[in-house]
Amino acid sequence: MNIPLQGESAGETPVLEFKNVSFSWPGGKGLSDVSFAVPSGQFVLISGPSGAGKSTILRLSVRLEEASQGEIFLSGKSVQSYYPPELRIRIGFVQQTPPVLPGSVRDNLLMPFTLNVRKRETPPSDEVLLQWLERLGLADVKLDSDASDLSVGQRQRLCLIRSVLPKPLAICFDEPTSSLDLESRERVEEIAEELATEGMTVLMVNHTSYHPCCPHMHLTVSEGKVEVV
Amino acid sequence: MNEGFIPISWVQLLIALSLVSVSGFLSIYYKLKLEKDLAIGVVRSFAQLLTMGYLLKILFGLNSAVLVMALYMVMTLFSVNIIHGRVKEKNVSYLMPTGLAVMFSYSLVTILVTKVVIGAQPWWDPQYFIPIGGMIAGNSMNSLALSLERFFSELKVRRDEVEMLLCHGANYKEATAEIFRDALHAGMIPAINSLMGVGLVFLPGMMTGQILAGADPEEAVRYQIVVMFMLVASTALSSIVVLLLVRKRCFSGAMTLLTGKKRGL
Repeated sequence: MNIPLQGESAGETPVLEFKNVSFSWPGGKGLSDVSFAVPSGQFVLISGPSGAGKSTILRLSVRLEEASQGEIFLSGKSVQSYYPPELRIRIGFVQQTPPVLPGSVRDNLLMPFTLNVRKRETPPSDEVLLQWLERLGLADVKLDSDASDLSVGQRQRLCLIRSVLPKPLAICFDEPTSSLDLESRERVEEIAEELATEGMTVLMVNHTSYHPCCPHMHLTVSEGKVEVV
Repeated sequence: MNEGFIPISWVQLLIALSLVSVSGFLSIYYKLKLEKDLAIGVVRSFAQLLTMGYLLKILFGLNSAVLVMALYMVMTLFSVNIIHGRVKEKNVSYLMPTGLAVMFSYSLVTILVTKVVIGAQPWWDPQYFIPIGGMIAGNSMNSLALSLERFFSELKVRRDEVEMLLCHGANYKEATAEIFRDALHAGMIPAINSLMGVGLVFLPGMMTGQILAGADPEEAVRYQIVVMFMLVASTALSSIVVLLLVRKRCFSGAMTLLTGKKRGL
């Protein structure tokens, strides 16, 4: 699978790098002087107590929040130097409960390819979409069926496919398994690890009992501080 | 048919005031706590309408374009103020866009109607310009407030959806396309609905006023048709302008949503 965007080879430069990044939410919590670097194709597990700042790391990476101090780099370039949509097609973000849009399963999966920033890209064929559905254990889901009829677990997996189909350099998952049953959870975790072994950089905020099978980097977040384990 | 109309004396006006006591009684009986608002509303409507009546009387006599425009400006500024009071949004400043939308749409439609449709000479003739402008301001104000309220509330409710679209590379226009449409729809629908019911369900105030004042009903109807069409235009125009100006302000330079409660730590 050709994961990096054209012209962006996965070299020595870290895919994602935080340099002395600080951020605070209006309530006072946040991150303080956080630094780490993620090499290309790495699986990164981010864990820590609730409210420690795990999701903030992901939101800062895609510029849904702006660091008050320090700098964040994607492929060696400051995230601020990218036009925001251009940044976000390189580093995806899957929310804890990503919403499905009105329309069919196919409409939802192809939505990223309807956006201006991707207007020159060819959308994947039905065959590719079906392969992905099968891979995520959704073989019985029809492309023409209404996405709003899917169960919570099926929707979560649909949104995961929607985010990885455009092949970003890196993908951030914010507790993607929190609303899933054990079987779906294991399937999603397995796919996320597979994506990393195929070359996509994966950052995942997940529950503490999760131990990835693939080689991984572990960031523990506590009271706004990050430690690389 | 009578020529002219039956004038209303001050005593008759006070008798009409007693009708308000029905609302006052209901408010007290059911503890609605609306007595204060009702009292203020009655005093304000008296004061505002009487002031406007005297101002118009003076204006008609003076025949000054500057004074007509000044009064028109005061009316539009008050409508901006009322919209600002009705829309609950703290994070995004929408006062300036509202002012611009109001000035642009009210003026454009009012001038178009008085100059082109009615053919008033001069186009700012206060007899036409002020009542037409007032009707446009009153109706557009409601639709503008409805559009803004809907836009801001939908942005808050559908924050996850907007962020999801942004995270896929949508620009702020793409991320809010659906919400924008809903808000525009909300602002335009009352004027369009009134086109359906006019003449069947209700007789509009302007036409009724003209008939009461002794005008030929057929002529009054023609005026009313112009008024209905101009209101459809002005409500649509003011809603689209304000939404176009406000939408951009809801996002930071990094295209992140500035309104609504942020989530995630």
